[in-house]
Amino acid sequence: MERVVVTGLGAVSPHGLGVSSLWDGLTGCRAAIRDLDLFDASLHRTRLAGQLESSVADASGRFPTGSRRLTRTDRFALEATREALRHAGLERSPELGEAGVYFGTSTGGMLEGERVYSDVVNQSIGPETRLRFLQLAGQPLGAPAEAIARFFDLHGPVETSGAACAASTMALETALSSLRSGEVELALAGGSDGLCGLTYGGFNSLRAVSPERTRPFRKDREGLSLGEGAGVLVLETEAHAHRRGATILAELAGAGTSCDAHHMTAPHPEGAGARLAMKRALADAGLEAEDIDFVNAHGTGTPHNDAAEWCALSSVFGERAGALPLTSTKGAVGHLLGACGALEAVATILCLQAGVVHPTPGHGEPDPECPVDLVIDSPRAIAPCRAAISVNLAFGGANAAVVLRHPEAGAGS
Amino acid sequence: MSASVVITGAGTVGPAGSGFDALRSAVREGRQQLSPVDRSAGFHCSGRAALAGVLGEDPYSPWLSMRDARRMSPASRMAVTSARMAIEAAQLGEGDLSGEGTAICLGTSFGSTNYASALLQQVHDQGPLSISPLLFMETVANAHAGQVALALGATGSNVTISQREASGLLAVARGADLIRAGRAERVLAGSVDEVSPILHAMLDRFGALARPSQDEDVEVARVFDSERAGFVISEGGTTFVLEAEEQAAMRAAPILARVTACARATDPSASAADWGHGHEELARRLVTRLERQGIGLDSIDLVVSGANGSRRGDALEARVLRAGFGSMLPPVLAPKSVTGEYGGGFLASALLSLEPVDWAATPGFRREDPELGLSPYLGEELGAARRVLVTTLAAGGAACWLVMERCDAR
Repeated sequence: MERVVVTGLGAVSPHGLGVSSLWDGLTGCRAAIRDLDLFDASLHRTRLAGQLESSVADASGRFPTGSRRLTRTDRFALEATREALRHAGLERSPELGEAGVYFGTSTGGMLEGERVYSDVVNQSIGPETRLRFLQLAGQPLGAPAEAIARFFDLHGPVETSGAACAASTMALETALSSLRSGEVELALAGGSDGLCGLTYGGFNSLRAVSPERTRPFRKDREGLSLGEGAGVLVLETEAHAHRRGATILAELAGAGTSCDAHHMTAPHPEGAGARLAMKRALADAGLEAEDIDFVNAHGTGTPHNDAAEWCALSSVFGERAGALPLTSTKGAVGHLLGACGALEAVATILCLQAGVVHPTPGHGEPDPECPVDLVIDSPRAIAPCRAAISVNLAFGGANAAVVLRHPEAGAGS
Repeated sequence: MSASVVITGAGTVGPAGSGFDALRSAVREGRQQLSPVDRSAGFHCSGRAALAGVLGEDPYSPWLSMRDARRMSPASRMAVTSARMAIEAAQLGEGDLSGEGTAICLGTSFGSTNYASALLQQVHDQGPLSISPLLFMETVANAHAGQVALALGATGSNVTISQREASGLLAVARGADLIRAGRAERVLAGSVDEVSPILHAMLDRFGALARPSQDEDVEVARVFDSERAGFVISEGGTTFVLEAEEQAAMRAAPILARVTACARATDPSASAADWGHGHEELARRLVTRLERQGIGLDSIDLVVSGANGSRRGDALEARVLRAGFGSMLPPVLAPKSVTGEYGGGFLASALLSLEPVDWAATPGFRREDPELGLSPYLGEELGAARRVLVTTLAAGGAACWLVMERCDAR
């Protein structure tokens, strides 16, 4: 089976535009979770979110024709894609035309939809409403992937996963499958999501959000913080990457998915689905649990999620589970919903390249019920740093995990 | 060589009724079942589209209890109902579907727009603290696939694909991929969508829907017709049971069709809300991708077209088919003239196309568009199709083609 490699990374995160902003924030152990001003959150349990600063979010709309019609989620997707393509040396390459786009999103253009709804029911239709009506074309979940194909003139397949918080991890799995089957040789895989009132209110109604910044795996954690942004990976078959002389950043070695079939919003208490997804990802990668050097957990910071995830990790890694360095990117940027898996894959690859695990911001004592080896305060150098697993769990019971490897770890295998 | 994938069961619920018999009657009679949409919320413009294909009374009986239905959106109810129909048709028990060997792979174009608009209304009327957790949970796009998994105890992959009109076909294609790659033993694959006033109004405002004309006071989707002006939306759900052919044969399962090949591509010339003009590029990819899987278009007996009556979409579809098939274009069925757009009726019709059903001539079609040079099925003798090409080109650019064949076709 041909190896699938990563040759470009792009990120839009609450830390700002670009992979370097993300990495600076992660390694600086800064939580980019602040007071929200995108919409009125004054009545909610929290007003915090990993929101992009307005000036940064606006700047991420630097695309020509038709850009006014793009939704916030579309713009994040395009910005991260452009960075990933530049990074891979593909931005204007003729080889790009056959690339497939495999994307995940959870909210799509819901923010713009909410604003139109409000204008109509309040009968306050003005010039802005007309623009927002145009932006409703970006309401369907498939819109960000289509926007990528349109702006970068791609003719390969487009396919959007709507698997909520596991959407972009599932997109990585689909891309991996399409590359291995030979359907495509080059793929853009990722996810994008913008904050919106419905999702913010919905997570509040479930009492899943933390009044303070999220504190994954801490004893007194109270919930998650929502966030927004995008992550994009350029994936290609190893042969394709070699043929064009690309720099290989990592290997997407395996992926696994599953479903809890237990509850629509609560994870299986013993992490049965998460365990199956991780075991499948390891088997798909041809690796054993002991080959994994660190974990990028889903780590939302809700009491139930982190406990279930610990159970799953214990089952997969046995006695090593408590000694395996573990981080949660969500502690730094919040929960990016459909985009979280892709952004966390980007973060995981950056860790593999640097030989460090980024810390998880947040204060508080470790939870003795979830005795993970949480990396805190500062980046931790680990050796060896060959392979990592990144996990995402979603509403509907959907779970997905990917195994990423340092490019030299699997070379020749 | 990867596994051959077959359909061993199918279930459908839609405006024509519950089950394939209802759909068979509708396509035989060329009857589109349309009902008025509630336009009272103020989202619609006056004098425009007013009809849609919506489910009749008690469409879920006996497949779904009232108790279970209460915690589901309409789309989730349709998904679970059609899944249970498909399981029974496949001569399986629900217990056979529990466990990690069963994957769910559902397409939805818009998810539960009824519950999304109800949530927006709640927020508007009562403030953000009023949001109902149940409504919120069911607005998440993968709720339908999650509910099917929950109903069956299916712990395998749980996939939701959302790519506008191509969602259902992409889901079946991806489901077949899961079996070929050994990632699932069985897949429940299909499509589900619901009609809501807000979705109807939004599509109408974009000019996507057929509207009453001077000589007719109701809207008709005139697929491939020179005066086509939009499509009609419908709701419903269709689910197929997909299995490896070898496994199906071992358990002596009914085999309804083989999913032989798939091709996927994109037309980047499409705008965010309409179809593009990239027919040559699409046709080239259709031909080459099927050839790579050993399928020549000259082996296709029938095209089951996803054309829906939209001005640009039908034009693109006709040009792709003409460019791909040349002078060898077989008869072209246009089931969306009966089933409407969305909701899985098209997928179910694609399966019916392999049966000896006497399809009515394409309803709504009156005059060929000289620019398209293609007429849909006009009622001529069809013969028994052995291998069909099922097509979907979506607004926004996605394209998916599936080759399905009768299992005596090889």
